[in-house]
Amino acid sequence: MNTKLTYSEQELVALLQQRTDHSFNYLYDNYSGALLGIVAAIVNDHETARDVLQEVFVNVWRKIGSYDPTKGRLFTWMMNVARNAAIDKIRSRSYQDSQKNRELPDNADTSLSSAITGPKIDDVGLKKVLTTLKEEHRVLIDLSYFQGYTHEEISKVLDIPLGTVKTRIRSALTHLRTMIR
Amino acid sequence: MNVQEYISSGIIESYVLGLASPEEQLEFESMSRQHPEVEAARIAFELSLEQQAMANAVQPPADMKQKIQAAVVGGQQEARVIPLDATHSRHTNWIKYAAAASIILLVGSIIWNISLINRNKQLQNNYEGTVAKLNDTQSRLSSFESEVNKLVGNPNVKMAAMKGLEASPSSVATVYWDSTSKDVYLTVNNLPQPPSDQQYQLWAILNGKPIDVGLIANEYFIGEKKLLLRMKNVSGAQAFAITLEHKGGSDTPKGKMYVLGNL
Repeated sequence: MNTKLTYSEQELVALLQQRTDHSFNYLYDNYSGALLGIVAAIVNDHETARDVLQEVFVNVWRKIGSYDPTKGRLFTWMMNVARNAAIDKIRSRSYQDSQKNRELPDNADTSLSSAITGPKIDDVGLKKVLTTLKEEHRVLIDLSYFQGYTHEEISKVLDIPLGTVKTRIRSALTHLRTMIR
Repeated sequence: MNVQEYISSGIIESYVLGLASPEEQLEFESMSRQHPEVEAARIAFELSLEQQAMANAVQPPADMKQKIQAAVVGGQQEARVIPLDATHSRHTNWIKYAAAASIILLVGSIIWNISLINRNKQLQNNYEGTVAKLNDTQSRLSSFESEVNKLVGNPNVKMAAMKGLEASPSSVATVYWDSTSKDVYLTVNNLPQPPSDQQYQLWAILNGKPIDVGLIANEYFIGEKKLLLRMKNVSGAQAFAITLEHKGGSDTPKGKMYVLGNL
């Protein structure tokens, strides 16, 4: 018998707060793919992306009490949990070492400036949409959204005034929006 | 800056994607509270983002689920190091919720089952009705076939195609007469439905004299029409005709003639 249920966001939040097997099953069956897609757009390595996905579920499970529905939809919140976990991972020493060993044997420079010269664009989700942006916008979105650099850091390294970084990111985002609508 | 400009400034995307600074976040949340259109724009962007993410889902390998569930549940147990009384109240709460949820699920599943049972019954009835109809159609078809087989390919069978007369020019009927067995079969291709106190009667005409070959039951025009009607035998005929007589028929034709055809 097919008993596939769908919950409204409100119901789902209540369900998650109960922390039952059913809540986990529902969460996993409905959202693991989308969340892995988000993680995979940031973490290029598949195996690492799966490890991050596990952290994402642990975090969602633990922090569901801090989710505030007045600030945004549950999915947005989970998406940001996923993005944060993925960025934490690519910034971790262990990940950077593994990437170094794999791709940059003679070059220890994995700093921001090298991230700019060679940002990797995969054909995944939002990243695919990125390819439609003009270069100066694409670099800014890649650095801020996919690599998690602050506006200040970007301003310093690219040597662009902070105000300009903000304006360009905003304008790139409004363009992105029209692409995914 | 007016609200519309604010909405299209990119702040919504910034906020939702987690790129807004803490000050911008506070400002946005206060704007959302004051202006429903800001909140509506936020939700619209969130929905399109969710769709985008769903469309670009990457399915994890099948064995991931169990692993993640173990990690999630393990983490949960670790987190449960809290004072005894708090644990207790949490437990009762949890049990209450679980009980309520299971009752809701149970009721839901019973309703679902009942509706399935009803649906099933309905399908069963439909099916039985269809099978009965099919059997009926098949038996009528096979008796028709055996009758047709007697006529078709039998060189002794002669046909009279009767055409409509003044009373009903578009009427057509056909008589098959077996000159050896003397059997008469009638096919009504088109005759108007008779009034309930009258009845059609078939006549064979031999040397200018009509011979009664039988009546067509009025039920024939109401129910499902038989393709071939078996009429009375007649020893000889040059032509056939149908007239509309009073109910029960006549010895000699008195009513209007509807169709007439030579053998």
